Amino acid sequence: MTTNAQTPTKVYYEDVQVGDEIPKLVKAPVTHLQLVRYAGASGDFNPLHTDPKIGELIGTGGIIAHGMLIMGFVGQLLSDYVGPTALRKFGVRFRGMTHLDDVITCRGTITEKYETDGVGYIAGKVQATDQNGDLKVSGTFVAELPHRA
Amino acid sequence: MFDKSIVGKSFPPFTIEAERGKVRELALAIGDENPIYASKAEAQAAGYEDVPLYPTTPTTFTFWGNRQMVSQLVKAGINVMRILHGEEEYEYLAPIHPGDTLTGVFTIVDGKTRAGQTGSMDIITTEVQYTNQQGTPVLKARQVIIVRE
Repeated sequence: MTTNAQTPTKVYYEDVQVGDEIPKLVKAPVTHLQLVRYAGASGDFNPLHTDPKIGELIGTGGIIAHGMLIMGFVGQLLSDYVGPTALRKFGVRFRGMTHLDDVITCRGTITEKYETDGVGYIAGKVQATDQNGDLKVSGTFVAELPHRA
Repeated sequence: MFDKSIVGKSFPPFTIEAERGKVRELALAIGDENPIYASKAEAQAAGYEDVPLYPTTPTTFTFWGNRQMVSQLVKAGINVMRILHGEEEYEYLAPIHPGDTLTGVFTIVDGKTRAGQTGSMDIITTEVQYTNQQGTPVLKARQVIIVRE
């Protein structure tokens, strides 16, 4: 595993304990414009995310957000916590559809802490829920953290 | 019902360049205003060598890099209008820097048909393995898609 010595440190291995909660992230309501921007940024132009007529046609109750946008929200949670270059693994399952105006909250908990060949890792579980507490995304991550000198 | 003979099949490699502008666009669409994703100067001011990849940047490699993906799925008998995204997982194997040229190989690693309450569904697992211009494996992206019949 490669370590980039110039990567700024957000959190040290010694400072994290199993059971710690990652500071939660509450996102602004999902908007139609955001889905159009996300389509362009990601390259996923499936019209069910941008065209209300398609949403009605296939019975999703209007347009639905890209699942990957919600994974992106969880990515922001992890980026804020450990920094993007510390991530070694990040995976999610998509559990429910997200509609316009939904307010998504991302949370995470540390489930494991271990060392391999002197390198410190933490593992955790993450999730995203809407304003009603309905689960949209659940997942796990592994991050490599530096030791305190 | 998809063509079971595609399981284990890899498609011809595609290439995609890691770009700063694409990272910034993705972060903005997600609503993450962390300046490290905005420009090289701001990333360096925060202690990074260059703009780091957003945690979900691999989705842009797949959609923008593998322009044949949809037609490859259609040829395999998959109704792309009926696709639900089940899971997405990244293994970040080595640093990827802006300007790196990545080569991706898209493989259908598993596929099965399951009887559900409202008809059968196909559950298909795909993987893209990325190497950089030095031939170093840098990223593995795994995806599970569900196709309702």
